[in-house]
Amino acid sequence: MTDAAPKADYDVLVVGAGIGGMESALTLGEMGFKVLVVEKEPSVGGRMILLSKVFPTLDCASCISTPKMAAVNNHPNVRTLVSSEVDRIVPRKDGGFDIELTRKPTFIDPAKCTGCALCEAACTVAVPDEFNYDLSARRAAHIAFPQAVPKKAVITRRGSSPCSFSCPAGVKPHGYISLVRAGKYDEAFRQHLEDAPLVGVLSRACYAPCEESCSRKELEGALPIRGIKRFMADRYYSTHAVPEYGPPREQNGKRVAIVGSGPGGLAAGFRLGQLGYAVTIFEAEPEPGGILRWGIPAYRLPKEVLARDVANVTALGVRIETGRKVSSIAALRDQGFDAVFLATGDRGGRKLQVPGEELSGVQDAVEYLHRINEGHPPDLAGKAVVVIGGGNVAIDSARSALRLGARSVKMFCLESRLEMPAHPWEIREAEEEGVVLTNSWGVGQVLGYDQRVFGVELVRCTSVFDEAHRFRPTFDLSVQETVPADVVITAIGLAPNTAAFAGEVALERNGTIKVDPETLATSAPGVFAGGDAVTGPSMIVTAIGQGKRAAFFIDRFLRGESTEGTRFDSRLPKVDPVQVAAEAHESASPRPPVPLRRRPAEERIGSFQTYEEAFTEDQARDSANRCLDCGVCSECRECVRACPADAIDLGMAARHEAVTVRSVALATGFSPFDAKAKPALGFGRFANVINGPQMDRILAPTRPYNAVVRPSDGKAPSNVAFVLCVGSRDEQVGNRLCSRVCCMYSMKQAQLLMGSLPLADVTIYYIDIRAFGKGYEEFYQQTKGMSVYFQKGRVSRIEETDGHDLLVHFEDVEGGGGHKVARHDLVVLSTGLLPNQGAFGLFPSGTLERDAASYVHEVDEELEPGATSLEGVFAIGAATAVRDIPDTIVHAEAASAQIAAYLRRGGATA
Amino acid sequence: MTGRRIGVVVCQCGGNISDYVDTEKVRETIEKDADVVSAQVQMFACSDAAQQDAIREIREKKLDGVVVCSCSPKLHTATFRAMAERAGLNPYQYTQVNIREQDSWAHTHDRGGATQKAIHLARAGVARTALSEPLEKIRVETLPAVVVVGGGVAGLRAALELSEMGISVHLVERAEELGGHVARWGNLFPNDKVGRELVHGLISAVRARENIAVYLGAELLEKSGRLGAFQVKLRTRSKETVELTVGSIVVATGFEPYAPQAGEFGYGLPGVVTLPEFKELLATGARPLAYQGRPVRSIAYVYCVGSRESPDRSGRTYCSRYCCSATSHIATVVNGLDPSVRQYHLFRDIRTYGRYEALYEKALRGGSVYLRYSEEDPPSVTSSDGQLVVKVKDRLLAGEEVELRPDLVVLVTGMTPRENSELTQALKLPVGKDGFFREVHVKLRPVETVMDGIFIVGAAQGPKNVAESVASALAGVSKAGALLMKGYVNLDPLVAAVDPNLCLWCEECLKACPYGAVRPVEAGDKQIAEVSSLLCKGEGACVPACPKQAISVRGYTNEQVTAMIDALAQEAA
Repeated sequence: MTDAAPKADYDVLVVGAGIGGMESALTLGEMGFKVLVVEKEPSVGGRMILLSKVFPTLDCASCISTPKMAAVNNHPNVRTLVSSEVDRIVPRKDGGFDIELTRKPTFIDPAKCTGCALCEAACTVAVPDEFNYDLSARRAAHIAFPQAVPKKAVITRRGSSPCSFSCPAGVKPHGYISLVRAGKYDEAFRQHLEDAPLVGVLSRACYAPCEESCSRKELEGALPIRGIKRFMADRYYSTHAVPEYGPPREQNGKRVAIVGSGPGGLAAGFRLGQLGYAVTIFEAEPEPGGILRWGIPAYRLPKEVLARDVANVTALGVRIETGRKVSSIAALRDQGFDAVFLATGDRGGRKLQVPGEELSGVQDAVEYLHRINEGHPPDLAGKAVVVIGGGNVAIDSARSALRLGARSVKMFCLESRLEMPAHPWEIREAEEEGVVLTNSWGVGQVLGYDQRVFGVELVRCTSVFDEAHRFRPTFDLSVQETVPADVVITAIGLAPNTAAFAGEVALERNGTIKVDPETLATSAPGVFAGGDAVTGPSMIVTAIGQGKRAAFFIDRFLRGESTEGTRFDSRLPKVDPVQVAAEAHESASPRPPVPLRRRPAEERIGSFQTYEEAFTEDQARDSANRCLDCGVCSECRECVRACPADAIDLGMAARHEAVTVRSVALATGFSPFDAKAKPALGFGRFANVINGPQMDRILAPTRPYNAVVRPSDGKAPSNVAFVLCVGSRDEQVGNRLCSRVCCMYSMKQAQLLMGSLPLADVTIYYIDIRAFGKGYEEFYQQTKGMSVYFQKGRVSRIEETDGHDLLVHFEDVEGGGGHKVARHDLVVLSTGLLPNQGAFGLFPSGTLERDAASYVHEVDEELEPGATSLEGVFAIGAATAVRDIPDTIVHAEAASAQIAAYLRRGGATA
Repeated sequence: MTGRRIGVVVCQCGGNISDYVDTEKVRETIEKDADVVSAQVQMFACSDAAQQDAIREIREKKLDGVVVCSCSPKLHTATFRAMAERAGLNPYQYTQVNIREQDSWAHTHDRGGATQKAIHLARAGVARTALSEPLEKIRVETLPAVVVVGGGVAGLRAALELSEMGISVHLVERAEELGGHVARWGNLFPNDKVGRELVHGLISAVRARENIAVYLGAELLEKSGRLGAFQVKLRTRSKETVELTVGSIVVATGFEPYAPQAGEFGYGLPGVVTLPEFKELLATGARPLAYQGRPVRSIAYVYCVGSRESPDRSGRTYCSRYCCSATSHIATVVNGLDPSVRQYHLFRDIRTYGRYEALYEKALRGGSVYLRYSEEDPPSVTSSDGQLVVKVKDRLLAGEEVELRPDLVVLVTGMTPRENSELTQALKLPVGKDGFFREVHVKLRPVETVMDGIFIVGAAQGPKNVAESVASALAGVSKAGALLMKGYVNLDPLVAAVDPNLCLWCEECLKACPYGAVRPVEAGDKQIAEVSSLLCKGEGACVPACPKQAISVRGYTNEQVTAMIDALAQEAA
């Protein structure tokens, strides 16, 4: 305003767009100052817009708030940022302030959003609606409330749900679970397909790390996530014999060769195919699938399920050339491929390196399983089989042997039970079927006669790992045992299948391909590698994740984009499952998981048929319904599909801005008292004990129930009690002060209540009725005149009856005296207001002074309302003391006058 | 059928309207009417999103008039005019139709009837809009000068802040010196600042300002003109008349302490004093505490004297707000002077709201005893052999009668409005039932009045303590600043206009106009009336007075009003 003024982006920063902040911003804007308003919520309006009517005029709160909200959003001198937070306010030498602020990601581009709310209708996650004080639910994608300004949808994301965070393949279980829960089964399948094409495979054979991380595990047990997936995959495949899509319309003309059609190769091919690359997968075997086809027995993964999954990939135009072993990258280049992805997986064949290993009847597990899977199983009928090894392959080998009619199957491994790499549930299943497992034995030698095996000599293994947890077994040679065996199957580890490329790409010492861990680029330009060939033996989902990562960077490489600083992983930080479980423990009732049923062991060893039974629709939905929605948004992407404006951006990140201002107005409001801090009053335990803000919502025109009803059973209450001074004038909760507004809002609610339910009895339990403002005493008299009963006395505790009525214990101060009990069918706790201490942390430590009650200290309350310990910083309304709306408005105006004078003087006085 | 393109929005107001009016039926019916090319229902027409919808509709359908059927025009006319303006439509081709206060709320038990009425009202709005013409706002310059009436703490503080903001001030005080009540008070709650010192600090600051002129023993006699340029006449101490032109007027005339009737709670007996009298006694700081030479060993405070009275007794039905906190504070001051003085508080409700609760707590901890009396059965104060006797039925002891024999009875008297009828007349300010000046809206516009540019601050608007009076004063300053700092304001052009062909200058309009906005001018060979668009309020008193129908108010022309009546009289579909 004056020439001497320091230069700044804005004259005033207003923190908070409640009624006080809006009033100040508009007044200062009207005076011609440039104002920046920063509001943390997605709408301006603060707490007032949530009220029903206001005392003593009984004006509709939204009717008198909305003009100001619209004005603040449209004023030419006022810029309003919602969903934004001020992080730091640092005084400058010239008297102004440097402001750092964060524009929080809303995951919906406000510039594109039209407020049509189709995302809200499509969203599959319901959470308590904070704008209705948790009385009702809202969607994760939502518009804050009907009168929101600006009227833009936002998505609530607390972080990555632990299940989705845990999946190495980037599959988002929370997403498809929420879709199954909503009965959107095909959508659930498609959501999974988007993340990984091998839906059927994973629904049968995944080791499901998601279930390990499920927050519900902290309560009664994890969700059976794989079972839910199997339901959705089976259901989809039963109605979709072939994929619903074909190759993408736009092909970019570039060619990519993938070596290996295991999970890694298929995942990479799928993604690159979607992006319009001409992809050829070379597979040495006669059929695609790699370990899925040749390693996993059919009782765990039926071959037709795999074939259907592979069709998801080939439908995109990805060619799979089987029977084509690739042994030279140079040859691929010569054929015109622009990039290569090596996903050759493992081969078997680790040797025991003991005498007798060469005997007939000793088989490598990988070869053994391969033979079974190609339909030429060895004849094990009536034979004694010994399996050496403690991993998944050993278990698969042992269980397959039983199915091939072995007389006995014994498993020996070095590890103790707890150390075994196989999963406990598969060990349990193997034992159910008759596999005899013996731990902590190594093989001394294989015993044979006439080149045929007849037994195994075992040596006691005393430890498997050294202190650094490296594999370094030690044995006690004095303890030995011999077991008879007709067949010995060795499953003691896999080796990377990389030898063919040793001359063209650099390898690690253990034979895996050396890659950049972020981009999976090998030492040869344009050649990427992933899966077990890089990681060593791992899970299917890990290989899929590698394939997707490779595709991501192959795409960037082929588009000539730098990969520097680019991250493939776009997950939000993981939500803490313990925290989620603790919160759910308060609200969710226990619901034990529906177990996955398996056919009886004796029946299942009769064939290679699937032994695990699929969930029924009810079981799947019931299971999905147990989901706690840890990250809130499930990333099901229904909103992405629903949004006509293409405004959804789940990858949106927080943006940081720095601005300079000449003065600051803190309009940070108050914190509502949490009635749970008075446990004797039953809030949170008894359905029909609600707090004052909730009652206001029930009475508001945009009310959650569209009628005045009590929460437990939806009945209209006939005998309502208001308990005043909850959280106020109460040393027990650390707030001795009076909250000023509760007497009045309770009487307002009582009046509105009697308007809706003229026959209801209303009792107000009070200490003093503080009707002190203009028109307030008259309002009190009017309330009395409406036959509201005023009972002087403090309420000590509340009990619930079987019918969810409430017994209110109080001290009858003026009647007969003493302890009395009254029965009500709805109790409203008139909760008070506490300081919002958020403002103090914005300033350099300790510079913004607080008063004894932790409000912002007004240094000269009598003459300079709102002036704080920092020159140029003013605090408005409830930031400095509890205030009702008129006093907040007056205070905001008063501070504005001083801000105007301060700015007019040129900022700080030297 | 006028060939106009009018858009109608029917608001549900959450449920305020749609619970009682079938808004969809209103929309369907009105949509079929001539001239209506768009009709929408909105949950909240005033919400930003609904406004965006309407703006899109105005632009896409090229509307030349808009009708919003919602609440009282008092609430949202400005909102929707601004909306029309943003859409590129002349704001005066917008009409607000009230189907809430005048329909849904009035007919909550007759949904069918209320719906029919809404349709009629909407049609009348459309009829008026169909005959609307684009009008331009009247831009008037504003003078950066303010008259502040009242030189108490609120007036002084307001003057100082206006001066800081670069606005010159004429500070008018009826008394012979500045400072008001606070100048006579000692320690103030809650921060124990000394009233005298506080006010004297302000007075010297005001005296030091070049752009503040102080008029002592002066009164405001007359006001004319309008917002931005009021002409104000003062009578000074020397009975001279001073004329000033100012942009705005701030009224900070304060309160009068309640003066008890003789005999009211023993008032008139020796040893029975009012709260201000006791405050002045304490302000002397003399120890030990004595009244008229007699030591004071015990005090009984009787609360709510002159406040919270029943309406059949007086107009003082209000709570005076400050007295509970002030008295609690005084009890702590007395305790500080002499902790052995016994203090009894005879109260109805202790209203130490907000942080003043700490004062009550401190008084309790200091040994103050509280006895609760009921309005129906107030305490009695008598004298027996020179000893004061107070009898009270304590509700906290199940109505048992307690007798006290205090040395001093302090009647905790409230605030009453000042006798200000001349000023009220001169400024044409409305006064509430309680006798204090009345604001436009007690909740949202507590310092503004129906007279644009005139603000009521401090205890003149209602009882307040010092900090609250000052905050209110500064709020008035803020409002004045928002009007004056820009240098101009825009006024509505909905003012009377004269048809020179019909006018014969019969002076009937001049007589009817309460604002002095009409004067004669020469027009060719005759005299005709001319209306000052700056002074005219557009209230229309002149219209029916004119025998020739030569005068009409823009936006409410005779044709428009007739068309509205016709539309209301039409059978609803």
